[in-house]
Amino acid sequence: MKKIFNSIIVSILTLGCLMSCSSLDINEDPVQPVSVPVSQRLPSIQANLAYSLYSQARWAAYHSYYVTTRLGNSNALTDTWNYNGITRLGAWRWHYFDVGSNIVGDAGMLVRAREDGANNYTGVGKILAAFSFLTATDVFGDMPFSEAYSGSFNPVYDTQQDVYRGVERWLDEGITELNSVGPAAPTMNGASDLVYSGDYQRWIYFAEAVRARLKLHTANFQNGYQAVLTSVDKALEGFEDAMFRYPEESSSPWEKNLWGDTRPNPEWQFADIRNDLANSLPTDVLMKTLAIDADAGIYDPRLYKLTTPGARNNYYGARMSEGLQDPNLPTGTTYQDFANLYNGYWTSDNSPYPYMIKEELYFIKAEALFYLERFEEALNAYRQGIEHNLRRLGVEEGHLINFMGSAKVVQHADDLQISDIMTQKWLALYLQAESWVDIRRYGYGTHAYPYLYYPRFVTAWGGRYIQRLPYDPQTEYIYNPKEIARLGAAARDWVFTPIWWAEQSTLKMP
Amino acid sequence: MSKTLRWLSIVLVFLTHGVYAQQITVSGVVTMQGTGEPAAGASVQVKGTSVGTSTGQDGAYSISVTKGQTLVFSFIGAIAEERVVGDDGVINVSLSEDASLMDEVVVTALGIERDRKTLTYSVQNIKGDDMRAANQPNLINALQGQIAGAQISSSGGSPGLPSEIILRGSTTLTGDNQPLFIVDGIRVNNSSSNFTVNRIADINPEDIEDISILKGAAAAALYGIDAASGAIIITTKKGRQGVLQVNGAYRSFVETLGRTPRQQGVYTVGLGGTYDESSGSSWGRKFRYDEPVYNNIDRFFETGLTHDLNLNVNGGSERLQYYVSGGYRNAGSTIPNTEQERISLLVKGTAKLSTKMTLTTSANYVKNNIQEGLGGASAGGWINSILTYPLMYDILQYQHPNGEPYYVYQEQEDPRNARISPMWGVMKNPRNNNVDRVIINGNLDYKPLDWITLSYRLGQDYTNSSYRTVTMPGTPGTYFDGRVTDSKGITKFVTSTFNSTFDRTFWDDFRATFILGFNSEYYDGHTLAYAANNFLVRDIPSPNVVERNDLSLTESWLRRQRYAVYGDFRVEYKNLLSLGITGRNDWSSTLPKHSRTFYSPSYSGSFTYSELFNPDDWYGKLRVSYARVGKDAPIYRTNTNLNQVVTVGGGFSVNATGGNPDLKPELTSELEVGTELSFFRGRLNMDFTRYVKETKDMIMTPRVPLPSGYVIKTFNLGSLRNKGVELSVNAIPIRNQDFTWSTTVNGWRNTSEMLEFAGDIVTFKYTNAQLNAGVAATTLGDAVLGIVGTDYQRTEEGYVIVGDDGYPLIDGTERYIGNREPEFNIGWLNKLSYKGFNLSFMWDFRFGGDILNASRQRMMSVGTAYDIGVWRDREFVFNGVVAQQDGSYIKNATPVVLDYSFFANNYYQVGTNFVEKVNWARVRFITLGYSLPKAWAARLGVSNLGLELSAQNPILITNYSGGDPEVNSAGPNAGGTGASTMGVDNGAIPLPRTYSFGLTVSL
Repeated sequence: MKKIFNSIIVSILTLGCLMSCSSLDINEDPVQPVSVPVSQRLPSIQANLAYSLYSQARWAAYHSYYVTTRLGNSNALTDTWNYNGITRLGAWRWHYFDVGSNIVGDAGMLVRAREDGANNYTGVGKILAAFSFLTATDVFGDMPFSEAYSGSFNPVYDTQQDVYRGVERWLDEGITELNSVGPAAPTMNGASDLVYSGDYQRWIYFAEAVRARLKLHTANFQNGYQAVLTSVDKALEGFEDAMFRYPEESSSPWEKNLWGDTRPNPEWQFADIRNDLANSLPTDVLMKTLAIDADAGIYDPRLYKLTTPGARNNYYGARMSEGLQDPNLPTGTTYQDFANLYNGYWTSDNSPYPYMIKEELYFIKAEALFYLERFEEALNAYRQGIEHNLRRLGVEEGHLINFMGSAKVVQHADDLQISDIMTQKWLALYLQAESWVDIRRYGYGTHAYPYLYYPRFVTAWGGRYIQRLPYDPQTEYIYNPKEIARLGAAARDWVFTPIWWAEQSTLKMP
Repeated sequence: MSKTLRWLSIVLVFLTHGVYAQQITVSGVVTMQGTGEPAAGASVQVKGTSVGTSTGQDGAYSISVTKGQTLVFSFIGAIAEERVVGDDGVINVSLSEDASLMDEVVVTALGIERDRKTLTYSVQNIKGDDMRAANQPNLINALQGQIAGAQISSSGGSPGLPSEIILRGSTTLTGDNQPLFIVDGIRVNNSSSNFTVNRIADINPEDIEDISILKGAAAAALYGIDAASGAIIITTKKGRQGVLQVNGAYRSFVETLGRTPRQQGVYTVGLGGTYDESSGSSWGRKFRYDEPVYNNIDRFFETGLTHDLNLNVNGGSERLQYYVSGGYRNAGSTIPNTEQERISLLVKGTAKLSTKMTLTTSANYVKNNIQEGLGGASAGGWINSILTYPLMYDILQYQHPNGEPYYVYQEQEDPRNARISPMWGVMKNPRNNNVDRVIINGNLDYKPLDWITLSYRLGQDYTNSSYRTVTMPGTPGTYFDGRVTDSKGITKFVTSTFNSTFDRTFWDDFRATFILGFNSEYYDGHTLAYAANNFLVRDIPSPNVVERNDLSLTESWLRRQRYAVYGDFRVEYKNLLSLGITGRNDWSSTLPKHSRTFYSPSYSGSFTYSELFNPDDWYGKLRVSYARVGKDAPIYRTNTNLNQVVTVGGGFSVNATGGNPDLKPELTSELEVGTELSFFRGRLNMDFTRYVKETKDMIMTPRVPLPSGYVIKTFNLGSLRNKGVELSVNAIPIRNQDFTWSTTVNGWRNTSEMLEFAGDIVTFKYTNAQLNAGVAATTLGDAVLGIVGTDYQRTEEGYVIVGDDGYPLIDGTERYIGNREPEFNIGWLNKLSYKGFNLSFMWDFRFGGDILNASRQRMMSVGTAYDIGVWRDREFVFNGVVAQQDGSYIKNATPVVLDYSFFANNYYQVGTNFVEKVNWARVRFITLGYSLPKAWAARLGVSNLGLELSAQNPILITNYSGGDPEVNSAGPNAGGTGASTMGVDNGAIPLPRTYSFGLTVSL
């Protein structure tokens, strides 16, 4: 009996291991890497940052009154400012995962950079992370920073003030790293750094530009215009446009500007942010800003650079949220009576995607100087901003000189109004989410943006203006209900709650 | 060794010479004592061998035997009789009814056959013929109503769509809730990748002898991993010694359109009441009398025709039996450009190598090619494009005579954003899912002593699959210049099992069995996929005709190894008491090293109290069992990888699915109590079971908060509980010479509760049911298969609060608004036979259970919903109350107009408007068969000829406002991140009404 039993045990083990005995240590994917050199990480971070900025601008462009839906009252988010029906919000993911996690997450670039002594990549990484956090907090307000990437599914939401401090700290750390790049650091060149081709000084100027943007948001209630001026001057010493560039020709939807006319939709995760300019129209706000003499058909030369002509060569403007439903439009008006939004300077498949452009710095400077009451210098910066933008868009020299001398551009410091600076900045930053920051700082006030008005189909919110984007409903509201409740973010009118710098802003009333 | 060789040569001799020795053919008729009715289907077995046959409708049999052997005649509900074969070639036997009916042998875990009397847990057994009466190609659908406690829902009426079976409630919120599928002792693939058919549908129902459903954890405990969801044990037919039998069957099916949602034909395209063709919405003005209104739903669907042919041959000698079968199915569908071709071949043989050794081997080849016109998506939405296509266009007009796309509307000569009939995609861009599958299985049994059995089984389930999608050039959208993707994969399940069984009777009344075994299971899934965009030659969808930059390749390779050692000890005292203990220890590669092993015990007992009284008249048993089983994690979820990106500059970025080094096994424990009763000498039998099942540390792979750094992560998310009752009653109310009526009623109810969530989660929404106002979700303290969404503001008494403007007010807070699990289910199977006629039909009743009608919401948002035609622009006073300054309420009396703004900004923002409590009564199938009398058949040169008329899903009575209420939008296991979407109607393809004709022939 015992003998039989023993022989059985032995045969079980031998038979078992004879036929199929592979190791239990096979839970690592044999065909995907766990770590790659930092030079192979930076390009996708930069590409993702362009997508992330776009994902904010996808909605901010409507909330900034650049464009509106053609049919009117047809998109709950842009026409009625109702974000309660959405499933996901791509902007949250693009910032935290596609950009942030790839830099500072546990599998992010900084881990390998530390191991390889690549402090050039650490520096650039921190500056990009800081910039991404700044843009994200400017649309979301309070959000996880100190406990982000800690593995927690219910991290604390830091105040926007704290996020701003963190952003500045990372900017400082990034600059420090870049100032001490040693010979042991791996090469950073045009193949790995698609923005500045490994020019560390350019990154440092970019960091100062980001700092100037950050400081401007709070300068009005923190008495910070002098600091803004210091930063912006530092940046302007050597700043070059921070742009993510796409190939002239590519058949890949991944290699196109997301504002482009093929409406690239590379994979499923872009579903909620695919551009809808095909079904949108330029607003009356945009057209009024660009008009010199609309009846005579005379416009700011940039109109023809930012847009392409519609089928009927008309340049109507659509009222926000109303589109073709605007009863004041002539009978028989169709989308063909408006400018075509595609194939403009910023809206082609191969348009560069701007992180920050130089015009923004000029206008930051102008605004700071304006409040420091140094009007002559403010005027100068303002004009530099406009001129730089005209040149960028390729306005011919003759038209440029004419326009700069026209009544559309302030000629004397005594005449300079804050609305002049803000509307010109708004034009220069066409479709960028930063314009929505400015509009909210000024409380959608007509003292800064003379053509704004309350949209007709926004009826449910008691005349309040939209102030932020909601957190991603599919994850944050599920995993972190306590923080959401503490912030009050579950309320149907959460997006009408101003974020910190808008709440504090002293610029809202004239 | 030489002995083995000798046996091998003997086998060879058998193979070449077939039957030898001096054999005679014995024939006769088996009848029942008392009634004298023929015992149709009684077993006639040569004692001590596996040689046997069964009687026909008339009770007649014939068998080849050697003189001196003993024939055993047995029949369910009768006492077996033995006769020694002498010189007489005719042996007629009359069997007496057996009061102690439950002599049935049931297949349990690891293929161990047990006497039903001594079972200590609930096992339900379905005979192959009963399953086939349903005439369903996917065997899961054939089980509808036959199992108490099985919730079965198909994702829609297309051959390429999966069906989901859940035993005793769901045990996980994402991932697979389905039981293990075991065919002849080896685990087979039942996955449903790329949202295609679940792979058990590859198995030809014609080859199935019977199916045992191990519902509870205790019954399935020996399978360890995955046993939490139960197990379905399929035994295929095998050869029988005796006269060679040839059976053939042909069936043809006509599929017609089932119950569909309704549309409005009042308003044409536009927004805000004006006609505007640039809008795809149907919110325009009314159709003018001279404008055609197309009934596109009816125009789209067609009648499908299916042919199904099966042939099997079985027979064998004393030492070698074989079963060979072939099946061919060419199935059409109600959906255009949709078809299935399935070829299956099964060869199975059993060789008795010596008196102590038996070898059984089988090979099953299946080719299952499915083409589907409706591509769908991971969240379902199959016919959404049809439901929302404006009725001003004819859906059948999708191309020009030259084959170029017919755009019904486009702007600025930009066909990329043009509008085209969904028929274009159906006809030009089908998806193809082609599978070649081979399941091989070898089993060697060795009985060194009569109480010891050693067996070794090696099996491999090998699937070679291809999943191809095409977007032909000219299709509006991102892939306007064409795209083809093909994912070609090979999956292997290699199972190796060694079992030793010791079975001894001692002290006369005691019997002890002990099983000790070892099991290894290796899974390997290797896939190479390409995507090719922008065809240079427009009509060739192939990577050969694209620029190299437009071609991308992806490789994925999943591997998993599991080992287990298990034991099963059981003692029985007479037929009175039995006690069993099992234990199993698993090791799995998918868990982190420190927690990769876990132990699964079970304890069970039964007490047949009728034995204490008068065991001949009735039968009564109590049983109780407890088990705790573990489950491992999905493959490669313990660390994080990087993926190559195709953005400008290339490189790598973090995989959206993050690794989790802290995973623990998931544990499910289940307590089951039951009783079995039998009266009237086995004419009335009942089985009643109650269970409580708790799952802890559920392993899930959902979307996670992005600040964690990942989009998706696998983690231990929480615990839940299922409780339920199952009742199965079968009776033979009438049985006499000519007429028999037997009936079975299965009733069950399962309720579930979410007990605990990790972290601060209160409500967990499923990502694969992406609707707006209401979503499939689970809320702490509520039913697991819940619906969460918004409702109107209500007073404490429940009245809707209406605003001063006359419109009801929306309550901003999302809450639990529905339970998708039915309150009660009944399956009622009837079988009647009268002389040569057989009639069987299955009624299926479902009471309660909410449906989230996302199809209707979608149709409303674009204005094609039926209700829009009825209510739009009408004046209406909402039934509700208006709040007064002093806090009191008065009845609302303000009339309002139900305009677009109301529907858009109010009605379809409210989830409760799309939740419906649904009941149904339906006939799953009704099948009428007729066997020609033997003499007539003989005249036609065959031994048996049967005719069959059948209908599937012919009658459906329901209060549901949409199409067919059997809905499951994302199906089982949707992409690994899905959850059970049972009860979510998102553009579901209605189940067809099918009528069939069949012919069966035996030579």
